[in-house]
Amino acid sequence: MKSVYIHIPFCSRICAYCDFCKVLHIDTFVDDYLEALKDEILNSYEGERIETIYIGGGTPSCLTKKERVKLFRILEIFKRSPDCEYTFECNPNDIDEYLLDDLCAGGVNRISIGVESFNEENLNILERDSNFKDLKNKIELIRNRGIDNINLDLMYAIPGEKLGVLKKDLNKLIKLQPTHISTYSLMIEDHTKLKIEGKEYISEDLDRKMYDTINKVLKSHGFKHYEVSNFALEGFESKHNMNYWSNGEYYGFGLGASGFKAGFRYTNTRNLHEYIAGNLRVENNLMSYKDQMDNEIMLGLRKLEGINVDDFFEKYNTNIQDVYPVKDLMRTKELIYHDGYLKIPEDKIYVMNEILVKLL
Amino acid sequence: MDKKHIRNFSIIAHIDHGKSTLADRILELTGAVDSHDMQDQLLDSMDLERERGITIKLNAVELSYKYNNEEYQLHLIDTPGHVDFSYEVSRSLAACEGAILIIDAAQGIEAQTLANFYLALNNDLTIIPVINKIDLPNADIPKRMDELVNVLGFREDEVLKCSAKTGEGVKEILDAIVERINPPKEDEGTATKAMIFDSYFDPYRGVIASIRLFEGEIKKGDTIKLMATNKDYQIVDIGVNTPKRKSMDKLVSGQVGWVDASIKTIETIKVGDTITTLRAKANEPLPGYQPMKPMVYSGLFPIEPNKFEALKEALEKLKLNDASLSFEPETSEALGFGFRCGFLGLLHMDVIEERIRREFDLDIIATSPSVIYEVTLNGGEEIIVDSPSKMPDRTQIKEIREPFISTNIFVPSEYIGAIMELCQDKRGIYKSIEYINAQRVNIHYDLPLSEIVYDFFDRLKSSTKGYASFDYEFIGYQAQDLVKMDILINGETVDALSMIVHKDFAYERGKKIVGDLKQIIPRQLFIVPLQASIGNKVIARETISQMRKNVLAKCYGGDISRKRKLLEKQKEGKKKMKTIGRVELPPEAFLAVLKTDKS
Repeated sequence: MKSVYIHIPFCSRICAYCDFCKVLHIDTFVDDYLEALKDEILNSYEGERIETIYIGGGTPSCLTKKERVKLFRILEIFKRSPDCEYTFECNPNDIDEYLLDDLCAGGVNRISIGVESFNEENLNILERDSNFKDLKNKIELIRNRGIDNINLDLMYAIPGEKLGVLKKDLNKLIKLQPTHISTYSLMIEDHTKLKIEGKEYISEDLDRKMYDTINKVLKSHGFKHYEVSNFALEGFESKHNMNYWSNGEYYGFGLGASGFKAGFRYTNTRNLHEYIAGNLRVENNLMSYKDQMDNEIMLGLRKLEGINVDDFFEKYNTNIQDVYPVKDLMRTKELIYHDGYLKIPEDKIYVMNEILVKLL
Repeated sequence: MDKKHIRNFSIIAHIDHGKSTLADRILELTGAVDSHDMQDQLLDSMDLERERGITIKLNAVELSYKYNNEEYQLHLIDTPGHVDFSYEVSRSLAACEGAILIIDAAQGIEAQTLANFYLALNNDLTIIPVINKIDLPNADIPKRMDELVNVLGFREDEVLKCSAKTGEGVKEILDAIVERINPPKEDEGTATKAMIFDSYFDPYRGVIASIRLFEGEIKKGDTIKLMATNKDYQIVDIGVNTPKRKSMDKLVSGQVGWVDASIKTIETIKVGDTITTLRAKANEPLPGYQPMKPMVYSGLFPIEPNKFEALKEALEKLKLNDASLSFEPETSEALGFGFRCGFLGLLHMDVIEERIRREFDLDIIATSPSVIYEVTLNGGEEIIVDSPSKMPDRTQIKEIREPFISTNIFVPSEYIGAIMELCQDKRGIYKSIEYINAQRVNIHYDLPLSEIVYDFFDRLKSSTKGYASFDYEFIGYQAQDLVKMDILINGETVDALSMIVHKDFAYERGKKIVGDLKQIIPRQLFIVPLQASIGNKVIARETISQMRKNVLAKCYGGDISRKRKLLEKQKEGKKKMKTIGRVELPPEAFLAVLKTDKS
C-alpha cells in the first residue's frame, strides 16, 4: 500500500460536463470536512512509507489559504519516501504565488492543470475558461519554484468541435512544454448539464480521427503514448496512475473516494453530511481471486506496454493463457505477445472494450 | 336444469367494438361478479390480451338469469376478435346456439364484423344484432341501422341498442338471449357426446378441457374416451366457471363446462375431438371441424443454443392452448437448432413470440415470416416449400405458385386512392368496390399473401390514418415469376435471411434490405460487406465501416468498479448477439427483411 488519493470535493463553480463528486465551496463545510478527512486518515492509515500522493477533486486549488494550510498539516501524517510523487490538481485561474508557497512548503512536486481547451466555443460548452498567455505566465511561476513535472489536461470530442480546433489546442499545449498530457474524449455523463441539455456526441469517425491526430502530434514532439489517454516525456509517466493500471492497492480518502486495501475495493459516500458525520463507506467488496485477475487484465491492457506475463504468474500463480482465451485473440491479432508482455496493438487500443469483453 | 332453460351464446364483433366490456356488464348484471370486485374486462385474463385489447383464448362462463320469474342458465363463450383467430371463433361458435353481433355506433361495420357474421351464419346460429356505444357523442344510430339492414340483411325491429359502458340496454340483450336463441336440442340417442372446444394446461392439475355436452351426461368418476385418439381416462373433477372455478357432480347435455381427467401429456387432447363415456359409449363422433391450416411460417431459434429444449417445452405448452400452432425442428446454418413454426397469421405469430419471451423468459430470434409455396420441378415432381432456404436451385424449377387471398378492406371513401396505390404496389389484382353507405366502401383485391406478410399492415394503417379495417380469405394458388434472393454478410450466405421475391421487385427489395441491415448491424472490428444476390448475381451492396471507437476513455482509481460494471453490461449485450462467421448480429437483423420505410 504505497499510494494515497485525497479528494477535495469543493469547487468555486460547477462545469457543465463534470460528474465527479463535487459541491460548491462553502466555508462552513470545509473546516468540518477537513476534520472528517483527518479522522478517516488516522483511522486507517497504517504508517507505511508512501510513494505517491495525489490530491484531486473537485478543485483542490479553490481552498482558501487557511484551509490549504490546514490540509497540508493533516497530510503531514503520511510518511513519504524521499522520491514520493506528490501531485496537486489546479484550476489555471487559481495559480498564484500564495498557492505555490503552500504547495512547495507542503512538498508537492507535480502539478496537474485542468486546461481542457483554449477554444472559445469549446470553453463555452464546458463552462470553463482558460487563457493561453495567462497560463504561460503561471507555468513559468511554477517552474521558478522548482516544480518541473507539470501535467496538462486536454479535452476533445466536444460537441461541435472540428479537427482544426483540436490541432490548434494541441499546438498551444505543446508550446507550454508540459512533461505529461492527459487527454479525455468527452463523455456526456448522466446528471450533467450537457446531458440534460441533450448535447450529442461527435461522430465516432471524427472522434477516432482526433485520437489518431493527438497520438501523431504528441509523438512527434517526443511524448510517449503509455496509456489509452495518457502521454508523457520519458521518465515522467504518472507513478500514481500507473499504480491504478497495475491493479495496485491504494488508499482513497475523502468524500466519494475509492480505495483498494487488503483485497477490498471500497467507495466512500458522496453525501457530505454523512461523510462529516463519519459514515464513510457505501461499498466495500472483497475482490475474489478471479475479480483480481479480471481487473488486472482490464486495467493492465490500458497500458501500451501491456501486462508482464511473468509478473502475472508471480502475482496469481496462474498462467494468463490458462484462464483467458489469449491464444484465440492472438490469432485474430487482437492481442500480441512481445518480449514478455501481452498487449493490445496500438491501432486497436481505441476499441479495446471489444477485446476485453471477449477476454473476461 | 332442463334444457329449455339453458342458452349457449357467444359475443362476436370487430376489434374494439366493445365485446369484452359487454361481457363484463353481463357478468355484473347476472350477479356472477360484484361490481366492486369487477376488474376491467374480466374474461381477458392473459396479460397480453389486456394490453392489446384483444381476446386470444376462449373462456366460458356459466351465468344464471331470471326471466319471467323463471331461472335460466346462460353459458357465455368468449371468442377472439381478430381475423387470425377465426378458427377459434368457429370452434366456440360450434358450441353455441346463438351469437350477439356487436357494432360500434360510431364506427359501423368493419372487416371482422363481416367475417364473424358469416362464421355465425355458417354455424346456423341465431344472431342478435346490437349497436353498442350509443352513449358516444359521435354515435350515428340511423346510419348503423341502415348498414345492418342493407349490408347484413337484418330487420330493423331485430336490432338492439346499448351502451356496455353505462349498462344501458344490457338487460334487453339478456332478455333477447332467452327469447330468441334456441335452447339446446333434445338428445337423439342415449350415448354421451361432448365436444372439446378448448383446452389449457394447469401446472397443478394437468390438461383441462373445455367442453360442450351435446348428448348424455358426464359424471365425476366416469371413464371417458377421447374418440380421435381412442384413449381412456377417468374424470377426476368436472365443473363450470362462474367465472370462478366451481366443481360439480356432473355436466349434462346442453351444458358448457370443463373436465379434468389428470391428463399429463399435452398432445392427447385434440381440440374439436369428441368425448364419450364408457357407460354410454357413442359409435360416431360429433362432426368435428377442419383444423385451419397455418398460413404463415417462421423459424424460431433460441439465442442461447442450450435453450433448445426449453423452447421446445414452451412451444408444447403453448400448443396445448392453441391447436392452430404447429412446429417442427429446423436447423439453420446461421442460427443452429430451432423450430419451423406455422401460424394462422401475423398477429398470431406476434402473440406466440411475445408469449415465449414473456411467459417462458426465453430470448429468441424469429426469422422473417414466409408463406407456403407450391413448386413444380422440371421433372414434373411437386414439392411444398415453407421456408426460402428450402427452395431448390432455380435451374431445377419449372414453376413456383404462391397463395393468394381476397380482401375486404373497409375504409372511408376518401382513402380509395391510397388503398389502390398500396394494393398495386403489392402486386394486387383489382376486383371491385362495394359502397356500404355514401361515405364508406369495402374494397376487394386479390393479393399474394406473401405481400401481406411484408409490411402491408403498417402501410395500410399509415396510408389511411388508422381508419381502415382489413380481413382476408385464402382463395388459392397462382403461378408467379418468383426467385429466391440470398443475403450475404461478410461474404457468407445467411440462410435465415433468404427470401422469395417477385422478380420485378427483387432489386428494390434487395437494396432496401442491405440498407436496413447496415443500420441494424453494429460496426465490427473489420469492414463488413453486405450483399443481396440472386443465384450468383449480386443485385445490391452496402458496406459497414469498421468500428472506430469502443473504449473507456478514462479510468482512474475512483472508476474501477464502475468501469467494470460497464464492461459487464457490454458483455451482457454481446450475449444477445448471434455470431455468423465472424460478424455479430443483433436479433433484429433477422427481421430486417420486414422493415418498412414508406410509413
